[in-house]
Amino acid sequence: MDFDFSPVTDNWRYLATGLGITLLLSILTVVCSLIAGTLIALGRMYGPTWLQKILTFYIDSQRAIPVLVVLVWIYFALPVLTGVNFPPFWAALLALTLHISAYVAEIVRAGISSVRNGQTQAGLVLGMSPRQVLTKIILPQAIIRMLPSIGSIISITIKDTAIAAVIAVPELMKRAETVSGQTFRPMEVFTTIMVVYFLVLFPTTRLIDRLYDRVSYRGRS
Amino acid sequence: MSNVTEADFGRKNASSTPVVEYRDVRKQYGNFTALDGVSARVNRGEVLCLIGPSGSGKSTLLRTTNALEVIDGGQLYFDGHPLPSSKAEIRKVRQRMGMVFQSFELFPHKTVLENITIGPLTVLGISEAEANARARVLLEKVGLTDKADRYPANLSGGQQQRVAIARALAMEPEVMLFDEPTSALDPETIGEVLNVMKRLADEGMTMVVVTHEMSFARRVADWVVVFDHGKIVEQGPPAQIFDAPREDRTRNFLSHLGWNG
Ligand SMILES: Nc1ncnc2c1ncn2[C@@H]1O[C@H](COP(=O)(O)OP(=O)(O)OP(=O)(O)O)[C@@H](O)[C@H]1O
Ligand SMILES: [Mg+2]
Repeated sequence: MDFDFSPVTDNWRYLATGLGITLLLSILTVVCSLIAGTLIALGRMYGPTWLQKILTFYIDSQRAIPVLVVLVWIYFALPVLTGVNFPPFWAALLALTLHISAYVAEIVRAGISSVRNGQTQAGLVLGMSPRQVLTKIILPQAIIRMLPSIGSIISITIKDTAIAAVIAVPELMKRAETVSGQTFRPMEVFTTIMVVYFLVLFPTTRLIDRLYDRVSYRGRS
Repeated sequence: MSNVTEADFGRKNASSTPVVEYRDVRKQYGNFTALDGVSARVNRGEVLCLIGPSGSGKSTLLRTTNALEVIDGGQLYFDGHPLPSSKAEIRKVRQRMGMVFQSFELFPHKTVLENITIGPLTVLGISEAEANARARVLLEKVGLTDKADRYPANLSGGQQQRVAIARALAMEPEVMLFDEPTSALDPETIGEVLNVMKRLADEGMTMVVVTHEMSFARRVADWVVVFDHGKIVEQGPPAQIFDAPREDRTRNFLSHLGWNG
């Protein structure tokens, strides 16, 4: 068996911009999902009953549908229904956010519930409003407690972006397929991007774990 | 408005409006009666200690005072006015009462200084400079000047409870409510918290203290209320309660604790 990594080295710029798109899609998805997931969790916990029901159904449905199905549905089915066409990148961002937000919402809900009631009371007896108690006392502690789970969400998100290849978003996976198809060197190309994913993800999750070790005492009441 | 009964004779500020007055207060949890017609008053500058067996309703009464628990019957007066029912008004009342919990409940994500300033900053809307200055004075008062920038996790239980007292005092309350402030502490740090409370009492702070520290109640209380099964068994000055209790149940409770004068 002979190894030839020249397809990778010859196309490194092409693959690197693919990685850039992977990272951009990941960062946007994570940011949007954290914001949306938090709002969903708050709506589910404190909103009116009808909203709680809708959001619970939404969360359950996202947990029951593969993200790949959500993606192809938004890209191929939604335009048929609504006449609105999303460019591939935005369709991927929407699908991933829709999916990941549901998981974030569950993490946020668990984080908020884990802060014990005495903390709420300590805020209330200072004369704070429930909203002030939530934003100044409960959420900051919940976020610290959620860090390890958010670390998992970030790594799952980065990995999930690879499915955007099926709707031809020019991210790392898609470009690797292209290079591999043109050069007939799947072993070298896919081994390389496997290593690249690992090199991106491993330090990221480690960094978040370290951050958590440093600040976890600030979330422990 | 409130009549001075014979029983109140000789109490501190007995003839002026009480800071807190409970009139026939009732509280139900489902079928369970936690407070069964409790009447008592807390005069200005007085230290009132609530004692009694576990589950007798001491915490419940304390928590009705600042509407953490809503009463099901009777009336509750703060500074001569019935406790309001609107949420905004209750918040105003809570700003004028400090509360200290058995489990401290410091905010773990805030430094000691921030724990003390958060109330005045978010609720009273004073400037950061003023809040910090106020906090430093209070830290000195509780003997923790050097801990201002620490996080609660790095303090001993006794230190945390002293910060919690400073946090409550930062709102400049008219009355301080303590719910077993030393019950969660190691024996060696109980004294430092009780000393802070004693000094507060000496400065004239009105205090309601639920406690199992009988020697503290004997020494510091102006008035002692004995609870059992949601009712007041007996109330009176510490000399009466501890040295010459009139009720058997008071005597039984005290002897259970090993109190012998
Ligand atoms: N939220 C609640 N729901 C149901 N029952 C409650 C609730 N809070 C208190 N109780 C009951 O009310 C009674 C009085 O409780 P409370 O906490 O006031 O007692 P306590 O005198 O403070 O006792 P301790 O010395 O153990 O703190 C207890 O029997 C308790 O089980
Ligand atoms: Mg209690």
